[in-house]
Amino acid sequence: MRNEIILKVYRFDPTSGKPPTYKRYSVPITERETVLDALLYVKEHQDATLSLRFSCRMAVCGSCGMLIDGLPRLACYTQISELDTDEIEVRPMSNYPIVRDLVVDMSGFFEKHRSVMPWLIRRDVREQNQPTKQYLQSDEQLLEYLQFSYCIKCGLCYAACPVVTAMDEFLGPQALAQLYRYIRDSRDEGATERLKSAGEFNGVWRCHFAGSCSQVCPKGVDPALAIQLLRRRTLFMK
Amino acid sequence: MIITSIRRTSRQNLSKVLTTMLVPSRYTIERWSYTLQRVSGVVVMLYFVAHVIETGYVVGGPGVWYVPPYEVAQRSWETVKASLKDPVFDVGLGIIGLLVTFHTINGVRLTLTHFGYTLKRPHRPEFPYEVRSFTNFQRGLFWLSISFAVFSMIYALDTLLGVFRA
Amino acid sequence: MRERTLMIMHYLTGLGILVSGTIHVYVVFLTVPANLTAWESTLSFDGFQFAILPVYRNLALALSLEILLICTTYHGLNGLRIILYELFQGRSARTYVKYALFAIGALLLIYGTRTIIIAHSIGGP
Ligand code: SF4
Ligand code: FES
Repeated sequence: MRNEIILKVYRFDPTSGKPPTYKRYSVPITERETVLDALLYVKEHQDATLSLRFSCRMAVCGSCGMLIDGLPRLACYTQISELDTDEIEVRPMSNYPIVRDLVVDMSGFFEKHRSVMPWLIRRDVREQNQPTKQYLQSDEQLLEYLQFSYCIKCGLCYAACPVVTAMDEFLGPQALAQLYRYIRDSRDEGATERLKSAGEFNGVWRCHFAGSCSQVCPKGVDPALAIQLLRRRTLFMK
Repeated sequence: MIITSIRRTSRQNLSKVLTTMLVPSRYTIERWSYTLQRVSGVVVMLYFVAHVIETGYVVGGPGVWYVPPYEVAQRSWETVKASLKDPVFDVGLGIIGLLVTFHTINGVRLTLTHFGYTLKRPHRPEFPYEVRSFTNFQRGLFWLSISFAVFSMIYALDTLLGVFRA
Repeated sequence: MRERTLMIMHYLTGLGILVSGTIHVYVVFLTVPANLTAWESTLSFDGFQFAILPVYRNLALALSLEILLICTTYHGLNGLRIILYELFQGRSARTYVKYALFAIGALLLIYGTRTIIIAHSIGGP
């Protein structure tokens, strides 16, 4: 068991006009410590200027995504012992503009999520205003989309996707998985227009099943599976 | 839906995009399949263009747009055939055999997976999460395509150069 | 054309290549008379049943070659389009890519079809 580790952290301040650099910090660690713990140790004791984004520390809020040893991971969900190296490289997530240090601008990612209309579309307006009944779902109906609704919008899949790197307009794994999640929801009535938008040039056809999104997803959402199933729906248009 | 208001991520340069496309280190074999399918596709396409041009000499070359006398066509083909007699082209053909076979079988695999076949149904995720789309069947098809590709390259080199016969 | 149509055709032409390409390769396999090595016979102009010219003369085989030509041209150029869409972005870049590939495809199809039609109609010596 190591009791010390080197953190190699990407530092960049766009307002300073200087190019990005890597800074090394040596951090004492105990068993079961996560990368986020180590980064916060640095911020508390060594370098208060280090910027990072975090909140829940338990893989629920999805704000601490970063490239840890080259793969997009949640810092609070990655045990230092599981990485099994003496020097951990920490960089901001790829495929996002960098705001500062480890903080990235996720507005494009969220906008794509919004653009797939991640809400239930209903035609019965009066019923929606004056509800009279429940919308019962069987277990099978629930299982059709449950897995995909576990998404915490951490954006790791978006950072791992090779198509997103190349193509700014591509909706990305997260948005497409949510698109499929709402199509499969038995309470939703917007399948036709959803499928139409999924079939555009920046939609489902740009996926080549490289599977990197599913590999890095911390919540078992498996966006790649959702996208392939969505492609079948887009083929038959129903 | 065309998203217009997305602030363009400072136009990433070509080299970064190409590295992401061509160097899938740290990722699973699905990512390798993506890279190899692309590379093999582009190379086979170049071969296809060359092959269309080359077979054009069966009837006498690009200048011939009428039915030529038998002897003219034969002479034109024999000339091209002689100029193609080069071990470099033979090795090249062996590699094309490798790439075509890989692209074909992996293409069948991708056609199946792209429409959700060979993948497992969605389920209730429970820790530790299992990735439902990384099935053994689908991965087996990838390795099958690799082995068939290597086999066909060996076969091609054997036929062309006789290297594995002696 | 709509993206969905273009991509569905990508999978269909892929299947088309699978069938006609298999025929093409199988015919190349069949060209071995006793006095030649396999590769020499593949490149033989004429003289036995599955030499080059007799294959073109056979209407069914010539048609399968034409199908292979059409499918490969579409499949290959659409594949390039997918890659180029990722490398060159924006509406105008996409238009250029589309027309450039369309022109290349037309050239390939015209030239290849010419070869097949003429080779099909060349008479004996
Ligand atoms: S699909 Fe997974 S990796 Fe992608 S944003 Fe959702 S939780 Fe994160
Ligand atoms: S801090 Fe909330 S997911 Fe890591």
